[in-house]
Amino acid sequence: MTQIDGQPRVRITGATKKFGDNVVLNNVDLEVRAGEVAVLIGPSGAGKSTLLRCINGLERLTSGTVEIDGVRLEYRERSLNHMREHVGMVFQSFNLFPHLTALENITMAQVVVGKRSKSEAHDRAAKLLFRVGLGEKANSYPSALSGGQQQRVAIARALAMTPKLMLFDEPTSALDPELVGEVLQVMRELADEGMTMVVVTHEMRFARQVADHVVLLADGAIAEEGPPEIVLDAPASDRARSFLSKLQADG
Amino acid sequence: MEFLNALIASSPALLKGLSVTIGLTALTLVFSVILGAIIVAMKMSSIPAFSRFATGYLAVVRGIPLIALLFVIYFGIVSVFKVDAFTAAAIGLSVHSSAYVAEIFRSGINSVHNGQVEASRSLGMSRVATMSRVVAPQALRVVVPALVNQAIVSLKDSAVASFITVDELFMTAQRLSAATFQPLTYYAIVSLYYLAMVGAMTFFAGKVERYFQKRG
Ligand SMILES: Nc1ncnc2c1ncn2[C@@H]1O[C@H](COP(=O)(O)OP(=O)(O)OP(=O)(O)O)[C@@H](O)[C@H]1O
Ligand SMILES: [Mg+2]
Repeated sequence: MTQIDGQPRVRITGATKKFGDNVVLNNVDLEVRAGEVAVLIGPSGAGKSTLLRCINGLERLTSGTVEIDGVRLEYRERSLNHMREHVGMVFQSFNLFPHLTALENITMAQVVVGKRSKSEAHDRAAKLLFRVGLGEKANSYPSALSGGQQQRVAIARALAMTPKLMLFDEPTSALDPELVGEVLQVMRELADEGMTMVVVTHEMRFARQVADHVVLLADGAIAEEGPPEIVLDAPASDRARSFLSKLQADG
Repeated sequence: MEFLNALIASSPALLKGLSVTIGLTALTLVFSVILGAIIVAMKMSSIPAFSRFATGYLAVVRGIPLIALLFVIYFGIVSVFKVDAFTAAAIGLSVHSSAYVAEIFRSGINSVHNGQVEASRSLGMSRVATMSRVVAPQALRVVVPALVNQAIVSLKDSAVASFITVDELFMTAQRLSAATFQPLTYYAIVSLYYLAMVGAMTFFAGKVERYFQKRG
Protein backbone atom coordinates (compact mmCIF):
# COMPACT_ATOMS: atom_id res chain seq x y z
CA MET A 1 0.00 0.00 0.00
CA THR A 2 2.72 2.47 0.99
CA GLN A 3 6.33 2.33 0.05
CA ILE A 4 8.57 1.35 2.89
CA ASP A 5 12.21 2.19 2.36
CA GLY A 6 13.57 0.18 5.23
CA GLN A 7 14.96 2.84 7.56
CA PRO A 8 13.36 2.87 11.03
CA ARG A 9 11.88 6.29 11.58
CA VAL A 10 11.07 5.58 15.20
CA ARG A 11 12.89 3.11 17.37
CA ILE A 12 11.79 2.65 20.94
CA THR A 13 14.00 0.44 23.06
CA GLY A 14 13.30 -0.82 26.55
CA ALA A 15 10.81 1.95 27.22
CA THR A 16 9.68 2.04 30.83
CA LYS A 17 7.51 4.76 32.27
CA LYS A 18 6.41 5.05 35.86
CA PHE A 19 4.10 7.59 37.45
CA GLY A 20 5.18 7.24 41.04
CA ASP A 21 4.85 3.53 41.76
CA ASN A 22 2.49 2.99 38.86
CA VAL A 23 4.35 1.22 36.04
CA VAL A 24 2.55 2.41 32.93
CA LEU A 25 5.00 1.14 30.32
CA ASN A 26 7.08 -1.88 31.03
CA ASN A 27 10.11 -2.42 28.81
CA VAL A 28 8.42 -1.73 25.48
CA ASP A 29 10.30 -2.16 22.20
CA LEU A 30 8.77 -0.78 19.04
CA GLU A 31 9.94 0.15 15.56
CA VAL A 32 8.10 2.18 12.98
CA ARG A 33 9.60 2.38 9.54
CA ALA A 34 9.55 5.42 7.30
CA GLY A 35 6.31 5.50 5.33
CA GLU A 36 4.66 3.04 7.63
CA VAL A 37 1.35 3.47 9.45
CA ALA A 38 1.39 1.88 12.90
CA VAL A 39 -1.88 1.65 14.79
CA LEU A 40 -1.86 1.28 18.58
CA ILE A 41 -4.87 -0.41 20.09
CA GLY A 42 -5.62 -1.70 23.55
CA PRO A 43 -7.90 -1.31 26.54
CA SER A 44 -8.28 1.94 28.46
CA GLY A 45 -5.33 2.58 30.73
CA ALA A 46 -3.04 0.26 28.76
CA GLY A 47 -0.54 3.06 28.21
CA LYS A 48 -1.27 3.92 24.57
CA SER A 49 -1.32 7.68 25.07
CA THR A 50 1.70 7.51 27.31
CA LEU A 51 3.70 5.59 24.72
CA LEU A 52 2.71 8.06 22.00
CA ARG A 53 3.56 11.04 24.20
CA CYS A 54 6.95 9.56 25.01
CA ILE A 55 7.79 9.63 21.30
CA ASN A 56 7.74 13.44 21.17
CA GLY A 57 8.88 13.94 24.74
CA LEU A 58 5.61 15.22 26.20
CA GLU A 59 6.21 12.47 28.71
CA ARG A 60 9.69 11.60 29.82
CA LEU A 61 10.71 7.94 29.88
CA THR A 62 11.80 6.59 33.22
CA SER A 63 14.26 4.38 31.39
CA GLY A 64 14.87 3.23 27.84
CA THR A 65 15.37 5.27 24.70
CA VAL A 66 13.49 6.79 21.81
CA GLU A 67 15.30 7.40 18.55
CA ILE A 68 13.93 9.31 15.59
CA ASP A 69 15.81 8.67 12.36
CA GLY A 70 18.62 7.33 14.48
CA VAL A 71 18.85 10.44 16.67
CA ARG A 72 18.28 9.75 20.31
CA LEU A 73 15.66 11.84 22.06
CA GLU A 74 17.10 14.15 24.69
CA TYR A 75 15.10 16.19 27.13
CA ARG A 76 16.96 19.47 26.89
CA GLU A 77 14.70 22.34 25.81
CA ARG A 78 16.65 23.04 22.62
CA SER A 79 16.80 19.49 21.37
CA LEU A 80 13.17 18.85 22.24
CA ASN A 81 12.07 21.92 20.30
CA HIS A 82 14.20 20.94 17.36
CA MET A 83 12.86 17.37 17.32
CA ARG A 84 9.27 18.51 17.64
CA GLU A 85 9.54 20.66 14.55
CA HIS A 86 9.67 17.40 12.64
CA VAL A 87 7.14 15.41 14.60
CA GLY A 88 3.50 16.48 14.39
CA MET A 89 0.94 15.60 17.01
CA VAL A 90 -2.85 15.53 16.85
CA PHE A 91 -4.84 15.36 20.08
CA GLN A 92 -8.18 13.87 20.98
CA SER A 93 -9.47 17.28 22.10
CA PHE A 94 -8.02 19.14 19.06
CA ASN A 95 -6.38 21.81 21.20
CA LEU A 96 -6.70 24.53 18.59
CA PHE A 97 -5.71 27.96 19.86
CA PRO A 98 -9.09 29.60 20.51
CA HIS A 99 -7.82 33.16 20.23
CA LEU A 100 -6.56 32.63 16.69
CA THR A 101 -8.41 32.04 13.42
CA ALA A 102 -8.03 28.75 11.58
CA LEU A 103 -5.44 30.31 9.31
CA GLU A 104 -3.53 31.91 12.20
CA ASN A 105 -3.54 28.58 14.02
CA ILE A 106 -1.66 27.09 11.10
CA THR A 107 0.58 30.07 10.49
CA MET A 108 1.86 30.90 13.96
CA ALA A 109 4.35 28.13 14.70
CA GLN A 110 5.80 28.24 11.19
CA VAL A 111 6.75 31.87 11.77
CA VAL A 112 7.63 31.72 15.46
CA VAL A 113 9.81 28.65 15.13
CA GLY A 114 11.50 30.44 12.27
CA LYS A 115 10.77 28.05 9.48
CA ARG A 116 9.19 30.56 7.12
CA SER A 117 8.46 34.19 6.46
CA LYS A 118 4.97 35.46 7.18
CA SER A 119 3.86 35.36 3.58
CA GLU A 120 5.28 31.89 2.93
CA ALA A 121 3.62 30.61 6.09
CA HIS A 122 0.37 32.23 5.06
CA ASP A 123 0.49 30.62 1.59
CA ARG A 124 1.26 27.25 3.04
CA ALA A 125 -1.52 27.53 5.61
CA ALA A 126 -4.04 28.49 2.92
CA LYS A 127 -3.01 25.52 0.78
CA LEU A 128 -3.27 23.12 3.71
CA LEU A 129 -6.69 24.41 4.70
CA PHE A 130 -7.81 23.85 1.14
CA ARG A 131 -6.36 20.38 1.21
CA VAL A 132 -8.31 19.38 4.33
CA GLY A 133 -11.43 20.78 2.70
CA LEU A 134 -11.68 23.98 4.74
CA GLY A 135 -10.51 26.58 2.24
CA GLU A 136 -13.44 28.84 3.04
CA LYS A 137 -12.94 28.68 6.83
CA ALA A 138 -9.61 30.50 6.93
CA ASN A 139 -10.95 33.40 8.97
CA SER A 140 -13.18 31.42 11.31
CA TYR A 141 -12.34 31.09 14.96
CA PRO A 142 -12.31 27.52 16.34
CA SER A 143 -15.48 28.17 18.34
CA ALA A 144 -17.32 28.61 15.04
CA LEU A 145 -16.16 25.24 13.67
CA SER A 146 -17.57 21.77 14.20
CA GLY A 147 -15.44 19.17 15.96
CA GLY A 148 -14.59 17.50 12.68
CA GLN A 149 -13.57 20.80 11.15
CA GLN A 150 -11.48 21.69 14.20
CA GLN A 151 -9.67 18.39 14.02
CA ARG A 152 -8.93 18.88 10.33
CA VAL A 153 -7.49 22.33 11.11
CA ALA A 154 -5.40 20.69 13.84
CA ILE A 155 -4.06 18.18 11.32
CA ALA A 156 -3.26 21.01 8.91
CA ARG A 157 -1.52 22.89 11.73
CA ALA A 158 0.75 19.92 12.38
CA LEU A 159 1.38 19.33 8.67
CA ALA A 160 2.39 22.95 8.22
CA MET A 161 5.65 22.20 9.97
CA THR A 162 6.47 19.62 7.24
CA PRO A 163 6.79 16.77 9.73
CA LYS A 164 8.39 13.48 8.87
CA LEU A 165 6.30 11.71 11.48
CA MET A 166 2.73 12.27 12.64
CA LEU A 167 1.35 11.11 15.99
CA PHE A 168 -2.42 10.82 16.47
CA ASP A 169 -3.97 10.21 19.89
CA GLU A 170 -7.55 9.05 19.38
CA PRO A 171 -8.20 11.82 16.86
CA THR A 172 -11.85 10.88 16.35
CA SER A 173 -12.88 9.84 19.86
CA ALA A 174 -14.29 13.24 20.80
CA LEU A 175 -16.32 13.54 17.60
CA ASP A 176 -19.97 12.92 16.90
CA PRO A 177 -20.23 9.74 14.82
CA GLU A 178 -21.25 11.58 11.67
CA LEU A 179 -18.06 13.69 11.80
CA VAL A 180 -15.61 10.81 12.19
CA GLY A 181 -15.48 9.99 8.49
CA GLU A 182 -14.20 13.36 7.32
CA VAL A 183 -11.22 13.19 9.70
CA LEU A 184 -10.38 9.58 8.86
CA GLN A 185 -10.53 10.51 5.18
CA VAL A 186 -7.85 13.17 5.66
CA MET A 187 -5.71 10.66 7.57
CA ARG A 188 -6.18 8.06 4.89
CA GLU A 189 -4.99 10.47 2.22
CA LEU A 190 -2.01 11.34 4.34
CA ALA A 191 -1.14 7.66 4.67
CA ASP A 192 -1.49 7.18 0.92
CA GLU A 193 1.00 9.99 0.36
CA GLY A 194 3.53 8.04 2.38
CA MET A 195 3.46 9.91 5.69
CA THR A 196 4.86 7.94 8.60
CA MET A 197 2.14 7.74 11.21
CA VAL A 198 1.56 6.33 14.67
CA VAL A 199 -2.14 6.30 15.43
CA VAL A 200 -3.93 5.42 18.65
CA THR A 201 -7.50 4.60 17.70
CA HIS A 202 -10.51 2.44 18.35
CA GLU A 203 -11.57 2.65 14.70
CA MET A 204 -10.99 -0.95 13.69
CA ARG A 205 -12.08 -0.42 10.11
CA PHE A 206 -9.50 2.33 9.74
CA ALA A 207 -6.88 0.05 11.28
CA ARG A 208 -7.75 -2.73 8.91
CA GLN A 209 -7.65 -0.54 5.82
CA VAL A 210 -4.75 1.77 6.55
CA ALA A 211 -2.41 0.16 9.06
CA ASP A 212 0.73 -1.59 7.95
CA HIS A 213 1.37 -2.62 11.50
CA VAL A 214 -0.99 -3.07 14.42
CA VAL A 215 0.28 -3.06 17.98
CA LEU A 216 -1.93 -4.28 20.79
CA LEU A 217 -0.87 -2.80 24.10
CA ALA A 218 -2.15 -4.24 27.37
CA ASP A 219 -0.97 -3.39 30.89
CA GLY A 220 1.95 -1.41 29.59
CA ALA A 221 3.38 -4.13 27.40
CA ILE A 222 2.94 -5.25 23.81
CA ALA A 223 0.59 -8.22 23.86
CA GLU A 224 0.62 -8.77 20.14
CA GLU A 225 1.84 -7.01 17.00
CA GLY A 226 1.93 -7.57 13.30
CA PRO A 227 -0.04 -6.92 10.13
CA PRO A 228 -3.71 -6.07 10.71
CA GLU A 229 -5.05 -9.23 9.13
CA ILE A 230 -3.15 -11.27 11.70
CA VAL A 231 -3.54 -9.16 14.85
CA LEU A 232 -7.16 -8.23 14.23
CA ASP A 233 -8.48 -11.38 12.60
CA ALA A 234 -6.33 -14.21 13.86
CA PRO A 235 -4.69 -13.11 17.09
CA ALA A 236 -2.51 -15.64 18.85
CA SER A 237 -2.76 -14.38 22.43
CA ASP A 238 -5.70 -14.68 24.80
CA ARG A 239 -5.29 -11.02 25.68
CA ALA A 240 -5.79 -9.96 22.10
CA ARG A 241 -8.75 -12.27 21.62
CA SER A 242 -10.55 -11.03 24.71
CA PHE A 243 -9.89 -7.37 23.86
CA LEU A 244 -11.14 -7.78 20.31
CA SER A 245 -14.24 -9.72 21.25
CA LYS A 246 -15.07 -7.05 23.80
CA LEU A 247 -14.69 -4.37 21.13
CA GLN A 248 -17.06 -6.24 18.89
CA ALA A 249 -19.59 -6.68 21.66
CA ASP A 250 -19.45 -2.94 22.38
CA GLY A 251 -20.13 -1.85 18.89
CA MET B 1 -30.01 73.40 48.33
CA GLU B 2 -27.21 74.00 50.71
CA PHE B 3 -25.74 70.68 49.68
CA LEU B 4 -25.90 71.62 46.00
CA ASN B 5 -24.18 74.91 46.71
CA ALA B 6 -21.45 73.12 48.60
CA LEU B 7 -21.13 70.60 45.77
CA ILE B 8 -20.63 73.36 43.22
CA ALA B 9 -18.45 75.56 45.35
CA SER B 10 -16.11 72.73 46.29
CA SER B 11 -15.74 71.39 42.76
CA PRO B 12 -12.58 73.28 41.72
CA ALA B 13 -10.71 72.02 44.78
CA LEU B 14 -12.10 68.50 44.61
CA LEU B 15 -11.47 68.17 40.86
CA LYS B 16 -7.86 69.12 41.51
CA GLY B 17 -7.71 66.45 44.20
CA LEU B 18 -9.38 64.02 41.83
CA SER B 19 -6.70 64.57 39.23
CA VAL B 20 -4.06 63.63 41.80
CA THR B 21 -6.09 60.54 42.76
CA ILE B 22 -6.42 59.50 39.11
CA GLY B 23 -2.70 59.98 38.56
CA LEU B 24 -1.89 57.94 41.64
CA THR B 25 -4.30 55.16 40.61
CA ALA B 26 -2.96 55.08 37.06
CA LEU B 27 0.62 54.78 38.30
CA THR B 28 -0.44 52.08 40.74
CA LEU B 29 -2.09 50.14 37.93
CA VAL B 30 0.86 50.31 35.60
CA PHE B 31 3.45 49.41 38.20
CA SER B 32 1.39 46.75 39.95
CA VAL B 33 0.83 45.01 36.61
CA ILE B 34 4.55 45.10 35.86
CA LEU B 35 5.51 44.00 39.39
CA GLY B 36 2.73 41.41 39.45
CA ALA B 37 3.93 39.92 36.15
CA ILE B 38 7.48 39.68 37.47
CA ILE B 39 6.25 38.03 40.66
CA VAL B 40 4.18 35.37 38.82
CA ALA B 41 7.05 34.69 36.48
CA MET B 42 9.26 34.10 39.54
CA LYS B 43 6.56 32.13 41.33
CA MET B 44 6.17 29.78 38.37
CA SER B 45 9.87 29.60 37.63
CA SER B 46 11.64 26.27 37.90
CA ILE B 47 14.46 28.00 39.76
CA PRO B 48 13.72 27.40 43.47
CA ALA B 49 15.29 30.64 44.70
CA PHE B 50 12.95 32.66 42.49
CA SER B 51 9.79 30.85 43.45
CA ARG B 52 10.69 31.02 47.13
CA PHE B 53 11.31 34.75 46.88
CA ALA B 54 7.92 35.21 45.21
CA THR B 55 6.16 33.16 47.87
CA GLY B 56 7.78 35.26 50.58
CA TYR B 57 6.94 38.52 48.83
CA LEU B 58 3.28 37.53 48.50
CA ALA B 59 3.04 36.46 52.13
CA VAL B 60 4.65 39.64 53.44
CA VAL B 61 2.80 42.09 51.23
CA ARG B 62 -0.57 40.50 51.81
CA GLY B 63 0.06 40.14 55.51
CA ILE B 64 0.63 43.85 56.16
CA PRO B 65 -2.19 46.39 56.26
CA LEU B 66 -1.88 48.89 53.43
CA ILE B 67 -1.59 51.80 55.82
CA ALA B 68 1.28 50.17 57.69
CA LEU B 69 3.04 49.34 54.44
CA LEU B 70 2.62 52.91 53.32
CA PHE B 71 4.09 54.32 56.53
CA VAL B 72 7.02 51.91 56.44
CA ILE B 73 7.77 52.85 52.87
CA TYR B 74 7.23 56.56 53.47
CA PHE B 75 9.38 56.87 56.55
CA GLY B 76 11.80 54.21 55.35
CA ILE B 77 12.41 55.62 51.92
CA VAL B 78 12.20 59.27 52.78
CA SER B 79 14.93 58.81 55.34
CA VAL B 80 17.27 57.37 52.71
CA PHE B 81 16.27 58.91 49.38
CA LYS B 82 14.72 62.28 48.90
CA VAL B 83 11.34 61.31 47.50
CA ASP B 84 8.13 63.22 47.92
CA ALA B 85 4.98 61.88 49.56
CA PHE B 86 3.29 61.30 46.20
CA THR B 87 6.09 59.03 44.99
CA ALA B 88 6.13 57.14 48.28
CA ALA B 89 2.36 56.65 48.02
CA ALA B 90 2.67 55.42 44.43
CA ILE B 91 5.33 52.89 45.49
CA GLY B 92 3.34 51.71 48.50
CA LEU B 93 0.10 51.31 46.60
CA SER B 94 1.86 49.55 43.70
CA VAL B 95 3.61 47.09 45.96
CA HIS B 96 0.39 46.38 47.84
CA SER B 97 -1.66 45.91 44.67
CA SER B 98 1.05 43.86 42.93
CA ALA B 99 0.45 40.93 45.28
CA TYR B 100 -3.20 40.79 44.25
CA VAL B 101 -2.40 41.33 40.60
CA ALA B 102 0.09 38.46 40.78
CA GLU B 103 -2.60 36.15 42.13
CA ILE B 104 -5.00 37.31 39.42
CA PHE B 105 -2.39 36.55 36.75
CA ARG B 106 -1.70 33.18 38.29
CA SER B 107 -5.33 32.15 38.27
CA GLY B 108 -5.58 33.38 34.67
CA ILE B 109 -2.61 31.28 33.60
CA ASN B 110 -3.97 28.27 35.46
CA SER B 111 -7.30 28.67 33.70
CA VAL B 112 -5.65 27.94 30.34
CA HIS B 113 -6.04 24.26 29.63
CA ASN B 114 -2.81 22.28 29.66
CA GLY B 115 -3.69 20.92 26.21
CA GLN B 116 -2.93 24.39 24.87
CA VAL B 117 0.59 24.24 26.21
CA GLU B 118 1.05 20.72 24.87
CA ALA B 119 -0.24 21.67 21.44
CA SER B 120 2.11 24.62 21.30
CA ARG B 121 5.13 22.73 22.59
CA SER B 122 4.49 19.84 20.22
CA LEU B 123 4.79 22.28 17.32
CA GLY B 124 8.34 23.01 18.46
CA MET B 125 7.51 26.33 20.15
CA SER B 126 9.73 27.18 23.11
CA ARG B 127 8.48 27.69 26.66
CA VAL B 128 8.77 31.44 26.29
CA ALA B 129 6.97 31.56 22.94
CA THR B 130 4.27 29.29 24.33
CA MET B 131 3.74 31.59 27.27
CA SER B 132 3.66 34.79 25.23
CA ARG B 133 1.77 33.58 22.16
CA VAL B 134 -0.59 30.96 23.53
CA VAL B 135 -1.06 31.17 27.28
CA ALA B 136 -0.86 34.90 27.98
CA PRO B 137 -3.37 36.02 25.33
CA GLN B 138 -5.91 33.51 26.62
CA ALA B 139 -5.20 34.27 30.27
CA LEU B 140 -5.65 37.97 29.59
CA ARG B 141 -9.30 37.55 28.65
CA VAL B 142 -10.06 35.68 31.82
CA VAL B 143 -8.19 38.22 33.87
CA VAL B 144 -9.73 41.46 32.60
CA PRO B 145 -12.74 41.56 34.95
CA ALA B 146 -10.60 40.77 37.99
CA LEU B 147 -8.02 43.36 36.94
CA VAL B 148 -10.68 46.03 36.57
CA ASN B 149 -11.96 45.08 39.99
CA GLN B 150 -8.45 45.45 41.36
CA ALA B 151 -8.18 48.85 39.70
CA ILE B 152 -11.36 49.91 41.49
CA VAL B 153 -9.91 48.69 44.78
CA SER B 154 -6.72 50.64 44.09
CA LEU B 155 -8.70 53.79 43.32
CA LYS B 156 -10.45 53.58 46.68
CA ASP B 157 -7.28 52.48 48.49
CA SER B 158 -5.50 55.57 47.22
CA ALA B 159 -7.41 57.56 49.85
CA VAL B 160 -4.92 56.31 52.44
CA ALA B 161 -2.29 58.49 50.75
CA SER B 162 -3.94 61.32 52.66
CA PHE B 163 -2.30 59.91 55.79
CA ILE B 164 1.11 60.77 54.39
CA THR B 165 -0.03 64.25 53.31
CA VAL B 166 -0.64 63.64 49.62
CA ASP B 167 -3.12 66.22 48.40
CA GLU B 168 -5.43 63.81 46.68
CA LEU B 169 -9.20 63.68 46.59
CA PHE B 170 -9.83 62.46 50.12
CA MET B 171 -7.30 64.84 51.64
CA THR B 172 -9.04 67.72 49.89
CA ALA B 173 -12.37 66.69 51.39
CA GLN B 174 -10.75 66.47 54.81
CA ARG B 175 -9.42 70.00 54.49
CA LEU B 176 -12.81 71.31 53.34
CA SER B 177 -14.66 69.67 56.18
CA ALA B 178 -12.16 70.96 58.73
CA ALA B 179 -12.40 74.50 57.35
CA THR B 180 -16.21 74.56 57.29
CA PHE B 181 -17.09 72.31 60.23
CA GLN B 182 -19.38 70.36 57.88
CA PRO B 183 -17.81 66.91 57.76
CA LEU B 184 -20.98 65.13 56.68
CA THR B 185 -21.47 67.38 53.66
CA TYR B 186 -17.92 67.05 52.33
CA TYR B 187 -17.48 63.37 53.04
CA ALA B 188 -20.79 62.74 51.27
CA ILE B 189 -19.64 64.84 48.34
CA VAL B 190 -16.29 63.09 48.09
CA SER B 191 -18.10 59.75 48.22
CA LEU B 192 -20.05 60.83 45.16
CA TYR B 193 -16.79 61.51 43.36
CA TYR B 194 -15.51 58.02 44.14
CA LEU B 195 -18.85 56.51 43.13
CA ALA B 196 -18.80 58.32 39.81
CA MET B 197 -15.26 57.10 39.10
CA VAL B 198 -16.10 53.53 39.99
CA GLY B 199 -19.22 53.73 37.80
CA ALA B 200 -17.16 54.94 34.86
CA MET B 201 -14.60 52.16 35.34
CA THR B 202 -17.31 49.51 35.55
CA PHE B 203 -18.89 50.80 32.36
CA PHE B 204 -15.54 50.75 30.58
CA ALA B 205 -14.84 47.23 31.88
CA GLY B 206 -18.10 46.00 30.38
CA LYS B 207 -17.04 47.36 27.01
CA VAL B 208 -13.65 45.66 27.21
CA GLU B 209 -15.20 42.35 28.21
CA ARG B 210 -17.64 42.45 25.33
CA TYR B 211 -14.80 43.24 22.94
CA PHE B 212 -12.95 40.11 24.06
CA GLN B 213 -16.09 37.98 23.91
CA LYS B 214 -16.74 38.97 20.30
CA ARG B 215 -13.41 37.55 19.15
CA GLY B 216 -13.26 33.78 19.23
N1 LIG C 1 0.25 12.44 34.14
C1 LIG C 1 -0.06 11.27 34.76
N2 LIG C 1 0.13 11.12 36.08
C2 LIG C 1 -0.16 9.97 36.71
N3 LIG C 1 -0.65 8.88 36.10
C3 LIG C 1 -0.85 8.95 34.77
C4 LIG C 1 -0.58 10.15 34.02
N4 LIG C 1 -0.89 9.92 32.74
C5 LIG C 1 -1.33 8.67 32.67
N5 LIG C 1 -1.32 8.07 33.89
C6 LIG C 1 -1.72 6.68 34.17
O1 LIG C 1 -1.08 5.84 33.25
C7 LIG C 1 -1.92 4.80 32.85
C8 LIG C 1 -1.98 4.73 31.34
O2 LIG C 1 -2.57 5.90 30.86
P1 LIG C 1 -2.72 6.19 29.32
O3 LIG C 1 -3.41 7.51 29.23
O4 LIG C 1 -1.42 6.07 28.63
O5 LIG C 1 -3.69 5.03 28.85
P2 LIG C 1 -4.42 4.83 27.46
O6 LIG C 1 -4.04 3.49 26.97
O7 LIG C 1 -4.14 5.99 26.56
O8 LIG C 1 -5.94 4.83 27.90
P3 LIG C 1 -7.24 5.45 27.19
O9 LIG C 1 -7.68 4.48 26.14
O10 LIG C 1 -8.23 5.58 28.30
O11 LIG C 1 -6.83 6.78 26.61
C9 LIG C 1 -3.25 5.02 33.52
O12 LIG C 1 -3.32 4.18 34.63
C10 LIG C 1 -3.19 6.46 33.94
O13 LIG C 1 -3.93 6.64 35.12
MG1 LIG D 1 -5.26 7.59 25.82
